[in-house]
Amino acid sequence: MHVLMMSMYAALAAVVLAAVDPKSDTTRQRVVHGLKIFGSFLGIGLVLSWILFPIPW
Amino acid sequence: MQPRDTLTENLATHFADRSITFDEPRRFPLALRIGSVIAAWLVPGAGHLMLGKRGRALLFFLTIVGAFVIGLGLNGHLYWPAPDPAATFRVDLITVLWFFAQIGSGLCYVASFVLGLGTAPIPQAAASPTFEYGNTFMFLSGLLNYLVVHDAFDIAAGRKR
Repeated sequence: MHVLMMSMYAALAAVVLAAVDPKSDTTRQRVVHGLKIFGSFLGIGLVLSWILFPIPW
Repeated sequence: MQPRDTLTENLATHFADRSITFDEPRRFPLALRIGSVIAAWLVPGAGHLMLGKRGRALLFFLTIVGAFVIGLGLNGHLYWPAPDPAATFRVDLITVLWFFAQIGSGLCYVASFVLGLGTAPIPQAAASPTFEYGNTFMFLSGLLNYLVVHDAFDIAAGRKR
């Protein structure tokens, strides 16, 4: 459930952030940028969850 | 100075009647600039639609309204600055931030409030296991729309395409 929500959140945020990116001129650049954002959201989220998992409080 | 050679002269006359146009950003009239920013805040994507960016307008509408609807579906709550007599500013500051995040979605917030969606008292709404997920999606919706409003302003001001 949590991973699904995180993925949906990452996808929605990535779409908008990529579309408003001022440095991307072409659709291809925007798609690549969006995929990077999506991957970063998921990757950082998973890494943080593994780091925080052993902490009991 | 080097004189023009015959070849260059011939090429120049050949392309003389062809105008070259670049897809450069252009500045829109003031009324359209103001109108697009207000429209972008009220309805996600409407500002871009006014500026002729139909594809981006549809994308923003679907993602931002979608995020808000998902949030409501997950039992998110519509926040309003709650009074708190014990606080320094007589208001619960965290609810001010949450309200600021949600009101960014414009008419989504207003329509939900009018229709009574997401207005259940917090203890009742928080009983749902997806309450926090819902809130997060509604915050996301409003905050992303602030970015979209800014983007519409940049396009209208001729800062970007």
